[in-house]
Amino acid sequence: MLATIIQNLINALQWGSFYALIALGYTLVYGVLTLINFAHGDIFMVGAYIAFFVATFFLTTAELPGWAALALTIPLTMILTSMVGVALERVAYRPLRRKGANRLYVVITALMCGLILENANLALLGASRKAFPPMITEHVYNIGGVIFTDLKIAVIVTTILAFFVLHKIVTKTRVGMAMRAISYDKFAVPLMGIPMDNIIVITFVLGSGMAGLAGIMFAMSYPILEPYMGALIGWKAFIAAVVGGIGDIRGAFLGGFLLGAVEILVVAFFPSTFRDLIAFTVLLVILAFRPTGLFGVAKTTKI
Amino acid sequence: MLLSVENLEVKYGNIQPLHGISFHVNEGEIVTLIGANGAGKTTSLYSICRLAPPEAPRVIAGDIKFRGESILKTRPSDVVKKLKMALVPEGRHIFGNLTVMENLELATYSRERDADLKTEYQRIFDLFPRLHERRKQRSESLSGGEQQMLAVGRAMMTGCNFLLLDEPSMGLAPRLKYDLFRTLKKLNEEGMTILLVEQNAHLALHLAHRGYVLDTGKLAAAGSSKDLLGNPDVKKAYLGG
Ligand SMILES: Nc1ncnc2c1ncn2[C@@H]1O[C@H](COP(=O)(O)OP(=O)(O)O)[C@@H](O)[C@H]1O
Ligand SMILES: [Mg+2]
Repeated sequence: MLATIIQNLINALQWGSFYALIALGYTLVYGVLTLINFAHGDIFMVGAYIAFFVATFFLTTAELPGWAALALTIPLTMILTSMVGVALERVAYRPLRRKGANRLYVVITALMCGLILENANLALLGASRKAFPPMITEHVYNIGGVIFTDLKIAVIVTTILAFFVLHKIVTKTRVGMAMRAISYDKFAVPLMGIPMDNIIVITFVLGSGMAGLAGIMFAMSYPILEPYMGALIGWKAFIAAVVGGIGDIRGAFLGGFLLGAVEILVVAFFPSTFRDLIAFTVLLVILAFRPTGLFGVAKTTKI
Repeated sequence: MLLSVENLEVKYGNIQPLHGISFHVNEGEIVTLIGANGAGKTTSLYSICRLAPPEAPRVIAGDIKFRGESILKTRPSDVVKKLKMALVPEGRHIFGNLTVMENLELATYSRERDADLKTEYQRIFDLFPRLHERRKQRSESLSGGEQQMLAVGRAMMTGCNFLLLDEPSMGLAPRLKYDLFRTLKKLNEEGMTILLVEQNAHLALHLAHRGYVLDTGKLAAAGSSKDLLGNPDVKKAYLGG
């Protein structure tokens, strides 16, 4: 019994980690710009593909040992994925911001950016799926009936670490303060000598970097890549961010794990085809009781 | 001349609130810009600070010069960082979701990392002891007067030596008003150049060395504070007879 609970908990945390990491990106950008970056799920997908190419390069072209390839693939993927996020900001969102465009157009632009990323991938790489190359050999452990792999534990630990780093940045550094300040009063930020665009770029770097990290870990855990892999998981992560209280990084983190837990629980008791139906229903009920999400206290409390 | 505004004309969309105004501020001076509501005082300050539309207007003619060089192409954050001019905006615009201390810290964003900030924070707290008491509180919870002190303290923490203030006395109890103006005088004696926008012309002219009177986007009068206080037209229109 206890073993079953722990087993499900580990599974929930691992599955929720992906939602949590992706939800962080939604919530950061929303907190700073009140922009729902609907392309973010596809940035996760791009992250997984970048990881694929980077890992393949290090393993086959550079012929590095697996652990070295992994150690290089993680930071490089995060950096390259950040650059994709920043590029999106520069070519799509910033011009609209300059023109003071209506929110509706910005949201539609974000949706289109996501579709462009998916279809560009499809056009460039074709519809065939890619198998992610194994960099390390997974070990399976069985402790008192609880079965887990070292990769699962690594995913959970990495996600928790990433959250604490991000939380530190947002609450303790001047850049983090500036991010919170923008969410409260955009107008006064330049008056403090703060170049607003730089802060927005940093926001996209952090959010997309997290999506890149999720991309690698997802590809290592479920090593089949396809262009639409970011769509559903992106939507779910967005919902997780909303349920947690969009704009609050603790909310994104908690919402992600909550969604992971609900899904794992559903599968433990029902046929797996019920998973999304019941998971979304539970989230809908939570939102009905707390429309601002779990951490959405006041409207002014963002990030 | 530290700052000079020359025949400035600006527009918000199709609305033109400034029709060619000129004024200047010398180093070490307190200059005041007075005028009725809607005269274009805030618009002038936003233009000087190079803030971006839609809140701020765009310049269509004339120039704004800092030490003789046009700053029309300067970014608003560089007005603070490089020119060391800081605005205390109308309505304060403090960051209510940050603590008092965080508001002050944030203002040091563009400064050298090794600047001796400790003594500067102390200086702010000496000027405004209330801020020290409340430094760990969310600034939303401050009273109006305390928020104004924070807005001034925050501007000072940018390391500016030119302070622009937009109706800082608005909404303050008379006592706090006098305290604030005394503080401004003290800052000026320590070397701070000040451009003060006020509706309370009496108070402003008693503090300032010189003044300009703005009337619906045009200059109506200019001169030393003494002259303006004695000017019958100004008296009638802005000093209540
Ligand atoms: N953002 C804006 N958009 C359009 N018109 C504006 C804007 N801000 C101010 N105005 C207009 O410009 C004129 C000058 O306003 P303002 O500079 O705020 O005056 P003051 O500060 O002297 O009271 C007013 O007629 C005002 O209605
Ligand atoms: Mg005004």
